[in-house]
Amino acid sequence: MIEVRIQKRLEPFELNVDVSCRYPVTALFGPSGSGKTTLLQIVSGLMRPDEGEIRVDGEVLYSSSAGVDVPPECRRIGTVFQDSLLFPHFTVERNLCFGFELTPPPDRRFTFEQVVDLLQLGALLDRRPATLSGGERQRVALGRAILMSPRLLLMDEPLASLDARLKERIMPYLRHIRSDLEIPILYVSHSVSEILQLTGQVIVLEQGEVLAHGDFFDIVHQPGVLHVAEAHGFENVLQVEVVRSDEHSGSTVVRFGEQELKVPLCDRPPGSRVFIGLRANDLILSRTRPQGLSVRNAIFGRIESLPEGRGTQLVTIDVGKRIVAEVTREAVEELGLMVGDPVVCLIKTHSIRVGGDVE
Amino acid sequence: MLTANEWEVVQLSVKVALWCVVVSLPPGIALGWLLARCTFRGRLLLDGLCHLPLVLPPVVTGYVLLLLFGRRGVFGPALETVGIDLAFTWKAAVLSSAVVGFPLMLRAIRLAVESVDPRLEGVARTLGAGRARVFATVTLPLAAPGVLAGSLLTFARSLGEFGATITFASNIQGETRTIPAAVYTFLNQPDGEAAAARLAILSICLSLGALLASEWMARRLRRREV
Repeated sequence: MIEVRIQKRLEPFELNVDVSCRYPVTALFGPSGSGKTTLLQIVSGLMRPDEGEIRVDGEVLYSSSAGVDVPPECRRIGTVFQDSLLFPHFTVERNLCFGFELTPPPDRRFTFEQVVDLLQLGALLDRRPATLSGGERQRVALGRAILMSPRLLLMDEPLASLDARLKERIMPYLRHIRSDLEIPILYVSHSVSEILQLTGQVIVLEQGEVLAHGDFFDIVHQPGVLHVAEAHGFENVLQVEVVRSDEHSGSTVVRFGEQELKVPLCDRPPGSRVFIGLRANDLILSRTRPQGLSVRNAIFGRIESLPEGRGTQLVTIDVGKRIVAEVTREAVEELGLMVGDPVVCLIKTHSIRVGGDVE
Repeated sequence: MLTANEWEVVQLSVKVALWCVVVSLPPGIALGWLLARCTFRGRLLLDGLCHLPLVLPPVVTGYVLLLLFGRRGVFGPALETVGIDLAFTWKAAVLSSAVVGFPLMLRAIRLAVESVDPRLEGVARTLGAGRARVFATVTLPLAAPGVLAGSLLTFARSLGEFGATITFASNIQGETRTIPAAVYTFLNQPDGEAAAARLAILSICLSLGALLASEWMARRLRRREV
């Protein structure tokens, strides 16, 4: 349980946050310069707020009224940043051991070998950070933070500097940390699809204020939240099960709930579970299943809400899971779409992105 | 090649220059870190005072040292009661060249500390290292090339120090007569020109070597930044 109630004057606004989160992963979401990174710095102890209180699992780390300010080295809060910030003068092994050796043995929750195995760092131990690739660096940074047995991990866009393929490869490690190591995570990101692969719990920050806090699909209706999510192209993320692959037609059939989808050919065996991404503006809505179209996928659902985007109309649809479609306002008017109406979502196979494996 | 007399001069110069580096390093590192990492009242004034010997005539620096640490100076009697007598000893030569060379040392260390990403220090702290440990394991090792470059520069500057030394430490053979003072003395003797030339050549070689080494270290530091 993380409880943060702080104020900090910044230029050009004031960071004013009062939240408590009890979920394994809470995502901090918001435009650049909304105060996300500052908030992480304050929680880690590297920056002092003007006033307020910070508690983790009931322990007071900062309290302006009680005069408590635990220094960062005593907070046991791990950090992972976009640029991994490895110590350039140490080998990978010494980087990993830096926090581990400073953690008293009774407080250590993981062994060195355990973390090296989990993140597959064995082959890198003697290398210098300058010789590592971006993905390798982030894995080392993750390992270094985990090895100090933190009670909370702060991640500031840990995948932002990686290309899409590398992101998919690091994501399973993050899910491992969340599910197997049981370290709570505060996760800053711009990317809705990245966040939704880890958690549904989101805190939306804008101009230093908490705009919304809660389950992403519950708060996505709010106008302020949507334009933040839209800014980077809203992408739905679904967990699906591979049914069969057909090399001849170049597609793989996947199932979620009762419905089936054709996605670009992927090499996973039937029965394996993967994430897929559907961009909100790649979805086409129809009242009925049309004939004579090249589109391979039609999924059926019911309209849940019609929040307004910036210049566009967003439609949240229950298709067994909630997804968001982005269409024009005229389209909604012409089709006469109302909350509760049944609707067909059409998706081209090749606009679907197949992501990483679900553990 | 060198006479015993000249050899003694060279040895003394190197000894004074080495000690000059040794006594400048601790305050150089402390003040370099302070000026690079901390904001406080009077920072500009402290910065100015530390750099003053760079622009002050060395003779004036020597005179100020004499007023402060001479036998009849402000701190002279106090130092004498604890058994330290600086004026007109090789230690006075060390002190005067250290004061004159200090701005070079300070500037190099300060730039080196500024080139260390403060976020690396922040990460080290969240990993459980206190301020002192962060300084010893992250800041100082990463700034080391700059510290070494500053030391070499100070060493070279000390070899060439004349004005402050001759004012504060005088020109006593075997005690405070360093290479520049010796060259000056030889030039004032009717048959000293050959000795002066030999020492001058040696002085050029020593100083050039130290400068090149210093520049090489500074380059290494810059390369790592990019």
